[in-house]
Amino acid sequence: MMEAQTSGRAYSGEELGRSLEASSGKIFSRKARLSFYNRTFKIICIASAVFVCLILFSILFLMGRTGVLTFETVSVKDFFLSTDWVPENEQYGAFVFIFGTFALTLLTMVISVPLSVLIAVFLSEMTPTWLKTALRPILDLLVGIPSVVYGFLGLTVLIPMLRATTGTNMGDGILAAAIVLTIMVLPTISRITDDSIVAVPKKFRDASYALGSTRFQTIVRVVLPAAKSGIMYAVILGMARAIGETMAVVMVIGNTPQLADALFKPTSVLTSNIVMQIANVPFDSTWNYALYMMGFILLIISLIMIVIVRMIQGRGVK
Amino acid sequence: MKTKWIRNIGLAVMALSLTFGSVSAVSASSKLSGRIVVNGSSALLPLTLQAANEFKKLNPKVRISASAAGSVTGPQSVRKGIADIGACDWDASTDVPGFKKFDGQVANKVAVIPFAAVANSNVGVSSLSTAQLQGIFSGKITNWKEVGGSDADIVVVNRAFGSGTRVNFQVKALNGTDFMTKGSNYKEVKSSGDMKTAIETTPNAIGYIDLVYVTAKMKAMKINNVAPSEANVINGSYKVWAYGYYMTKGQPSGVVKAFIDYVQSTKFQTGSLKKLKFIPLSAMKNA
Repeated sequence: MMEAQTSGRAYSGEELGRSLEASSGKIFSRKARLSFYNRTFKIICIASAVFVCLILFSILFLMGRTGVLTFETVSVKDFFLSTDWVPENEQYGAFVFIFGTFALTLLTMVISVPLSVLIAVFLSEMTPTWLKTALRPILDLLVGIPSVVYGFLGLTVLIPMLRATTGTNMGDGILAAAIVLTIMVLPTISRITDDSIVAVPKKFRDASYALGSTRFQTIVRVVLPAAKSGIMYAVILGMARAIGETMAVVMVIGNTPQLADALFKPTSVLTSNIVMQIANVPFDSTWNYALYMMGFILLIISLIMIVIVRMIQGRGVK
Repeated sequence: MKTKWIRNIGLAVMALSLTFGSVSAVSASSKLSGRIVVNGSSALLPLTLQAANEFKKLNPKVRISASAAGSVTGPQSVRKGIADIGACDWDASTDVPGFKKFDGQVANKVAVIPFAAVANSNVGVSSLSTAQLQGIFSGKITNWKEVGGSDADIVVVNRAFGSGTRVNFQVKALNGTDFMTKGSNYKEVKSSGDMKTAIETTPNAIGYIDLVYVTAKMKAMKINNVAPSEANVINGSYKVWAYGYYMTKGQPSGVVKAFIDYVQSTKFQTGSLKKLKFIPLSAMKNA
C-alpha cells in the first residue's frame, strides 16, 4: 500500500523516517515495532547460545562430579597407573584403557595420515577434473556411513582375513581396530587436506615450476608445506573422531582388560570398556563412578583436541 | 440394484458396530488401569514384550513400558523406584557370585531359560565334562587336544561381567568356578547376538549362550554326555538352565500382580512363551 502511494518519489533518509512514523499504527510506531522485533530476535539468539554453553558445562560438571567420587575409595595413583581392572574385586586401574586409547589412536594415525595425504594430493594435483567431480562426492558419502556398519564389516570380513593371513587364533586387537578406524577417518582427513591443498595459491606452484622444479619437488617442497596447517587441522579432526569412536571398536578389539602390548592381543580402550560395562553396573558404586571418570577423561581429551583445532584454524591457511 | 448395495453397506456397518460394541463392552468390564514399567534382562525382553501386548489387549487402560539394559539393572531400578518390575536372569533376592542380594525384593518365577556351551563347528569335540568345562573357562586347559580334540588353541569367548547368562553359566555349568579374565586367546562380548557371531566365525572358539540362540552354524556341547535339549531340561538330566524372574518391591499388588499372574498363567505359559522357545514353569514341576 505504502509503496504504491510513494512510488516514483525519492526520499531523503529523514523524510523516509518521518513517513514511516506517519504511516504506522496508533499504538506502536513502525520504528518502535521494528526495534522490538530486532531486540527480541537478538535475545532469542543469545539465549540459544547461552543454552548450548550451559548444556556443555553441565555435562562436563556432571561427569566430573560423578567421576571424582571414584577417588573416595581408589587412590588417584592406582586409578591412573595401575593395570589391574578387576571391578568385582574392587580393583580399578584404568591405565590399560588410557594406554589403549592412545595406542589405538596413534596406530590409526600412523596408517591413515600418509594414506589420506596421498589421496588428497592425487585428488587435488593429479586428477583430471571429471574424475575429481566423481571422487569428491564419493569421499563425502563415506563420511556419512554409520560406524556400526564399519564395525560389522570389521567383525565379519576383516577379522577372518587377518586370521587367515597372520595365522593368529583370534585376530582381535588394536591392529584390527586401527584398520577399521583408518577406513572411517580416511575420507574426513583426505577431504579436508584436499581442500587445504586446493587453497594453496597458484602463484606458489608457478614460481616453483619457473625455478625448474619437477612436479614431485613442487608438491613435496612447496604445496604440502604451504598447506601444513590445514593438514594438521584435518589430522586432529580425524583423531578426534577416532578417539571417541565406540561401536566399531567394541566389535573388533576383543574387550579384555590387558595391556595392548601386541598387535593381535584382545584389549580394551576407554570407549569400548564403558559401553561394555555401563549397562551391568550397580548405580551407586565405585565401579559406576570409575566408568564416569573414564568418560570424563575422554571428554577432556576431545576438548583439548577441539581447542587445538581452533588454534590452528585461527592461524588460517594463507 | 442400488438399494441392495446400500442395504449391504448398512449391514456391514451394523456388523462392525456390533463387533466394536462388544469389544468396548469387554474392556469396560475390566476395571484394571495403571502403568507398569519393566526394566532389566535382555534375555527376558521378548517374553515381556509379548506378554505386555496380550495383556494390553485384555486391559486397554493399562500402559506397560518395557526396556532392557542387562539383568542387574532390573532389581537396581526396582530398588530406585524407577521400575515396578525388574526382569532378572537370576534370583536377585539371594546372593550370587559377584552380586549381593537385594533386600526386600520378591522374586517371581516367570520362565525357564536353558543354556548351552557352544563351540565353532570346526571343533571336533562334542562332549565335555564339568571338570573339563571348568578347566577351559578358567584358562587351565588351553588346547583342544587336552580334551580329546585336534591340536589347536582354545579360543574362549565370554560375556562381560554382570550378564545374567554369565552368572547362570558360572553357577550351573561351572559350579561357581571363576572365569579367567585375560589372555591372548580370550575375549569378551557384549550381548547374546555378539556371542553368536563370535562363535560362528571364530575357529576353535568356545562360549555359551541361551539355547534359543543356538544355530546350525555352531555346535552345542553335550555336558557330561547329556545333550542340551528342551526334553533333557524337562526330564531333569540337563542341569544348565535357570529360572527367569520378575523382581518386585515386596509382594506384587494391583495391576503389577495382575500382569505377573497373566505371565504365569497356563494360557500364556503353554502358548506364547513356548512359541518364544522358553520352557513353561509347569514343565519343571517334576524336575
